[in-house]
Formats: sequence, C-alpha cells, structure tokens
Amino acid sequence: MSARFAALLAAVLVVAMLPWLLQTPYWRGILVLCAMNVLLALSLNLVLGYTGQLNLGQSAFFAIGAYVSTILVKTYGWNFWAASLAAVGAAGLLGLALAAFAVRLRGHYLAIASLGFAVITYQVLVNWEKVTEGVRGIYGILPPVGSTIGLFYLVAGIALLVYVLIDNLVRSPVGDTLRAIREDEISAASLGINGALWKAFAFGLGAAIAGLAGCFYPGFVGTLVPDAFNIIESFTMMAMVIVGGMGTMIGPVIGAIVLTFLPEVLREFGEFRLMIYGLALTLVVLFMPGGIVQAWRTLVGKPITGNR
Amino acid sequence: MTDLLALVVQQSINGIYLGCLYVMVALGLTLIYGVLNQINFAHADFVTVGAFAAFFTVTRLGTKVLGLPDTAAYLLSMVTALGVGAALGLAINAAVFAPLRERGDELRPLIATIGVSVLLENFQLWLFGPIPYQFDSPFSSETIRIGRIFFTAQSVLVVAVSSSAIAALYLFMKFTFVGKALRAVAQDRETAGLMGIDPNRLIALTIVIASALAGMGGALLGPVLVLTPFAGATVIVKAFAIVIIGGFGNMQGTIIAGLLVGIIEAFTVQYLGSGLIDLVVFVLLLVMLALRPTGLVAERKEENV
Repeated sequence: MSARFAALLAAVLVVAMLPWLLQTPYWRGILVLCAMNVLLALSLNLVLGYTGQLNLGQSAFFAIGAYVSTILVKTYGWNFWAASLAAVGAAGLLGLALAAFAVRLRGHYLAIASLGFAVITYQVLVNWEKVTEGVRGIYGILPPVGSTIGLFYLVAGIALLVYVLIDNLVRSPVGDTLRAIREDEISAASLGINGALWKAFAFGLGAAIAGLAGCFYPGFVGTLVPDAFNIIESFTMMAMVIVGGMGTMIGPVIGAIVLTFLPEVLREFGEFRLMIYGLALTLVVLFMPGGIVQAWRTLVGKPITGNR
Repeated sequence: MTDLLALVVQQSINGIYLGCLYVMVALGLTLIYGVLNQINFAHADFVTVGAFAAFFTVTRLGTKVLGLPDTAAYLLSMVTALGVGAALGLAINAAVFAPLRERGDELRPLIATIGVSVLLENFQLWLFGPIPYQFDSPFSSETIRIGRIFFTAQSVLVVAVSSSAIAALYLFMKFTFVGKALRAVAQDRETAGLMGIDPNRLIALTIVIASALAGMGGALLGPVLVLTPFAGATVIVKAFAIVIIGGFGNMQGTIIAGLLVGIIEAFTVQYLGSGLIDLVVFVLLLVMLALRPTGLVAERKEENV
C-alpha cells in the first residue's frame, strides 16, 4: 500500500468520523461550510498556486454556480443534478472568458481585472431583478439531501474526489506545464508551451470547481442573496490558500479548515473576533511567508522539495 | 440655453466634482504603485479613518473644544484628516511594506494589506458602531447659481482643494530635489541607491504622502458618504478601476481617468439609474483592458502587460 493511498484512506476515515465528533447541529453546519471552503480553496490554488495567475475574482464563479443551479431548479423545475451540471458548465465558460483577459495581462493588472470581473458579476446579480430577485433574494431553497450529515458527506466526498483529481493532474506533465508558466512564461513559451491554452485550461477548470462548490451553498443556507458573493469572498478564498501554503496540495485544505474554524473558535471574543482574524492574516503573511505547510516543514526539519 | 445643453453642463459639473473626490483617493494608489509596485488594499480604510477624523473635528474638537465657527472647523478637519492619514501611512509602511519589500513578491504584501484592512474596519466597528454617522460641511448649504446651472460652495471647495493638492504634488515631484530623487527611485531603485539616495526613506515618504491624500479625501468625501466603518470600500473599487484605466503608476493618466469616471457616473445616474454605476465603470474597465491595456496615457511598457 503506497503512502498516498494510506493518506487517502486516513482522510476518508477522518471525514467519516467528523460528524460524530462534532455532534451539535451548529458544528455540523460548520463542517459543511468547511467542506465547501476546501473545494473553493482547491479551485483557487490551481489558478493562483500552480499557474501563478493573480486572480481576485474567484467569488464570481462561486456565485454563478449558486445562482445558475438554483434558478434552474426553482424557476425551470430542473432536477438538482442536471441543474448542477449546467451550473458547473456555465461557471467554467465564464472562467474561459476571464482567461481571455489573463492571456494578455499580468500581475496586478490581472488582479484588478479579475476583481472587476467579480464586481460586475455582483452588480448583475443585484440589478437583474427579473431573474435573480436582486437584493430581495431567493428563499426556501432545498438542499439535495435532507440531513446536514448527508450534505456534509456529499460535499466532503466531492472535495476528496476533486483533491485526488487535482493531485494527479499536478503530478502529471500538465502540472509541470502549469508550473513552467508560473515560473517564467517566456521561457515556457520558448519550450513550445502554449501559454494561452494552458492558462485557459487552469482558469476554466478552477472556475468550474468553484461553480461546483456554489451548487451546494444555496441549499445549505436555504436562501440566496448577492451579498454572499461580495468581493470579500474572493479575499477570504485567497487568504485560505496563502495561510495554508500556496502551490502545495495540502496547504489550501489546511488553510480552508483553519480559516473556517478560527472565526468560530474566536466567537467568544465577540466583537474582537474579526480584528484578531485580520491581525492573524497579516502576521501569517509577515512571519510565515510559505504558509502553515512551509512552517511545519521547517519545524520538523524536512527540506522543501520542489513546490509540489 | 436649451434644456439638453443645461442638463449636460450641469451633469458635467457634478461629474468633475465627483471626479476630483475620486482622484484624491486614486492618486495615492497610483503613487504607491509607481514607486513600490505594490497595491495597498487598506487605502480604502485610510479614507474612512480620515472621514471619521473629520467628523470628530467638525462636531467636537473644532466647534466644542476650540470654539471655532463652522467653516473654520471644517477647514481644520481637512488638516486633521491629512495628519491622521499620514500617520496611518507611516504605520503600514513600518508594519507591512518595509518588512516585505526584500522578498520582491507581489502577492504577499497584497494579502497582508487585506489583513490590515479587515483589522482597521473591525476596530472602527468596535469603536464607532455600525450606525452611520453624518456631518455636513457648512459650505454645502450655500448654493451658487449661474443661469440654470446650480452648484454648491462645497463642490467649488472640493475642486479647489483637490486641484491645489494635485498641483502641489506635481510641483514637488517636478522641481524639488526630493521629488527628483523619488522619481529616480520609481525608475530604478538600485541605481538610485548607488547615487546616494536612500530608497527606504523615499518609499516611506511616498506611502505617507499617498495616505495623507487618502485621509484628506476622506474629509472631502465625509459629507457625501454614508459614514460607517466600511464606507471607504465603496469608493476604493472605483479608485482601482480609475488607476487601471489611467495606467498603473501614471499620475497624469489617473487624473484624467478619475475625472472621466466622475463624469460617466454623473451621466449614468441621470440616464440609467444610480444602481448601475459600478457596472458601467467596470465594463468600461474591462473594455479598456481588452483594447488598450497600458492605460489612457501609455508610459510603462511590456513589464506588466
């Protein structure tokens, strides 16, 4: 049994046990949220960590997944799974649209362009009231499975599956291609790598995964309002990737778990909670530039091998 | 004057007034980018803090403590906001930009300033609460009327103050020794260092100037903002759009783009409704990026585009 298989098995076991360790409905809800955040962090890490594209617009794809799936179910009476498939497709296509900009822009320009993308998506959700109900929101949305535990197993299972898929992808020659673009686009091009094509691939796949996470969000909270997809959401996802360890597989997962539970653990600090959160984010970046993963590797004295 | 012409002139004046407010905020972002190649996401919160400083100067310090008349208290509030902004600039440079500068990485300072932004917003939320504050400039009630065109003394003051600030900045950059040194650092930090310029001090100075502008912008924006701890965030997304439309790090471009966005906003409100402002501005941004990614006034070349 290989080490990776053992790790996967351990992860499955931990996921299976979690709802029995945290038994209150409140904490089980947080677990669902955590699984969704893991999916989102994985999706952004593919674009940001592996392909090196500064993307501040990931919340747009999360929003598209949520709205397209909900509207198809509520207004057009589609089956949840068919609607989700369409929503994932729509988010992926929108990801390709953003990639069209990423092909021409770098660094901070891409950061602001993608931020603009998220702002436009948010504004469309607010203003296109005929379809989205605007700020009034859509109510009474049912989750695909009845119980919170069921929903957690579903989303966590999908997150595990996506993890394995991306893990295999970044170990394949495709992963080397993406990393080559991240390190130096011009050198990559001189090796015959079509930067535009692979950026489009990373953006499209990343967007589709964020859209997939979006499909489960409305059923979980029961309502859908544009404010859930404010640009702050993009920052939160980015914080998860950075705090955990960008460009590593396990980093964003750890980041998502830490940053989902940290605000909950800090709840007893009341109004100081978000102040501590902001401070923690700044301090992590200042003192642990490689995130938790790198700090851990330094601590146990393991050399950092590549950036896998 | 025909109705249409009067309307166009009126909205253009409103637009220039708004544009001047945006330029005050956007100029700081562009200054920092030009010298440091970094984005300060907490810039928005400097605007908010400036607005709160102005609020307390107008309602307490100026009128109650010093016993100044309303107009003098408002003018004083610009100075306190400027000072508070400068102090914040000094602090964020020491805490974030200076320690992270060595690593030459564009992402981490960005995230660190997002953290600072969350910290500042929630600190103000704790201090001031979520209920919006309101204060008015004594100049807002004085209306000036020329033919069928109306504007307030406040808008004249805003245009005058921001254009003097811009002019002062321009003269400083162009004609003083320190300004010249600053431009040298922006062009090539290492070579400037070899010429005996201390880049660290000049970078600190740039951040302080930029933040002071943001603070003062807060005092000017204060009367038109719904003043909550999150007020700056509504302005900053537009400021980012302006900075990009004008060409990152390009002062001239930022000023032109700021006025342009102000005017577009005024006409959007007139013809399409105020809910669509951000939509129109950001669609313009994306069109701009697709067609002319170097910005309105091309200066910086292949580097980022």
